[in-house]
Amino acid sequence: MSLTRHNSKLSGWLDLSQSLTGVILTLFLWTHLLLVSSILLGGDAMTLVAKTMELSFLSADGHGYPWVVTIIAVVVAVLALIHVLVAVHKMPLNLAQQRALRKQMTVISHGDTKLWVWQAITGVGIFLLLPVHLWLIGSAPETIGPIGSADRIWNQGVWMVYLPLLLCVELHAAIGLYRVAIKWGAEKALNHRARIKKIKTIVSVVFVVIGIASLLAFLPYASQ
Amino acid sequence: MSQGRTLTFNIFRYDPQEPGDKPKMVKYQLEEAPGMTVFIALNMLREKQDPSLQFDFVCRAGICGSCAMVINGYPTLACRTLTSKYPKGEITLMPLPGFELIGDLSVNTGKFMRELAERLKLWLHPRQDEIDIHRIEAPMAPEEAAKLYELDRCVECGVCVSACATKQMRDTFVGAVGMMKIARFELDSRDARSVEDFYHVIGNQDGVFGCMTLLGCQDNCPKDLPHMQQIAYLRRKMAGALV
Repeated sequence: MSLTRHNSKLSGWLDLSQSLTGVILTLFLWTHLLLVSSILLGGDAMTLVAKTMELSFLSADGHGYPWVVTIIAVVVAVLALIHVLVAVHKMPLNLAQQRALRKQMTVISHGDTKLWVWQAITGVGIFLLLPVHLWLIGSAPETIGPIGSADRIWNQGVWMVYLPLLLCVELHAAIGLYRVAIKWGAEKALNHRARIKKIKTIVSVVFVVIGIASLLAFLPYASQ
Repeated sequence: MSQGRTLTFNIFRYDPQEPGDKPKMVKYQLEEAPGMTVFIALNMLREKQDPSLQFDFVCRAGICGSCAMVINGYPTLACRTLTSKYPKGEITLMPLPGFELIGDLSVNTGKFMRELAERLKLWLHPRQDEIDIHRIEAPMAPEEAAKLYELDRCVECGVCVSACATKQMRDTFVGAVGMMKIARFELDSRDARSVEDFYHVIGNQDGVFGCMTLLGCQDNCPKDLPHMQQIAYLRRKMAGALV
């Protein structure tokens, strides 16, 4: 007899939810970055995107509802929390596990294991930096726009959060998606592993470049 | 025949049976011969230079799985590794990590494999309750037999266990060899166990849901077994049993 009800299928659901939340967050991340990169087309383009995301087309005065952004931030926070709580089961948490990992990696050289270590490191980085980003945006959604965002990024120094977050998240997400494809055995992924690994690297680099370019594009608006 | 180059071996030496012995790397030099494998080189070293050198071998042909060791950072079979593969002529040999060390390059993979087989019940559980030796065995479709044979090629060398960082961190994780063998019985139409029975054994964080897809097994298996495909197949099968 056991004292608590034992759900034998929980570990399956947990593993599945880690992959699912990871995929959803990755797709959100890439969409988000493309929307933010509208600043590269100019302030007006970004204002249009920001207003559309606040559903301005549904409000009579055309101002939209900034709280929509807050809701998105809360949903992202919940998904990220689920992802972290499950992923943490797989991290080397005690000293014996860390020693075993270090020993194995010193003796055996293996690329995909190193990739995973990078994923774990960037995961910790995201865990620390993402709450700051979500709080800043979720608590002041009305400030999103060329001037408001530029002020936040450059005058208030939030680039110190955004730049490392960008690097962490773009590495983490692309490696994660590559791993999910192989993990669940998408047939093409299994047959074209080398190719999708290359695509993964290209995607990471392209999004980091777009992200840095977007951060720099805010610079002229910071002095206005 | 031209004069062979001189190979330098850096070999891990440690005898846990000898009181006071400490792990160390020892350097040996040997003249390379045509078609020389690491296994041949080790035998020559033991014969001519150091009779105390410990390493395992039986078949010399990649069938017994005894001579697995880490060669220049890659876990593989010594008998299937040509010394000519290393242009610098420098070869570092380490025992497989994650197994009980018998001495030097020799590890106790047998003990591990036996414990794994007992824990996962890696033998055929026939459908009939009573075994009647007079009954003619039901034929098996050649396609099914071919699939089983593919997975039965595993030589239990232990490379997948050593190459798996997940296994090294989590002692109870079954590793690729365990999952490969479970998949073999799952595919076998003569086996009475259902998906639920297999779920009970590997549908948890010690089995498919603990695998992080680091692919050390896939990339290092000296028999090129389809670990990546097989574990993905089991994971989908087990996930299918969730609903």
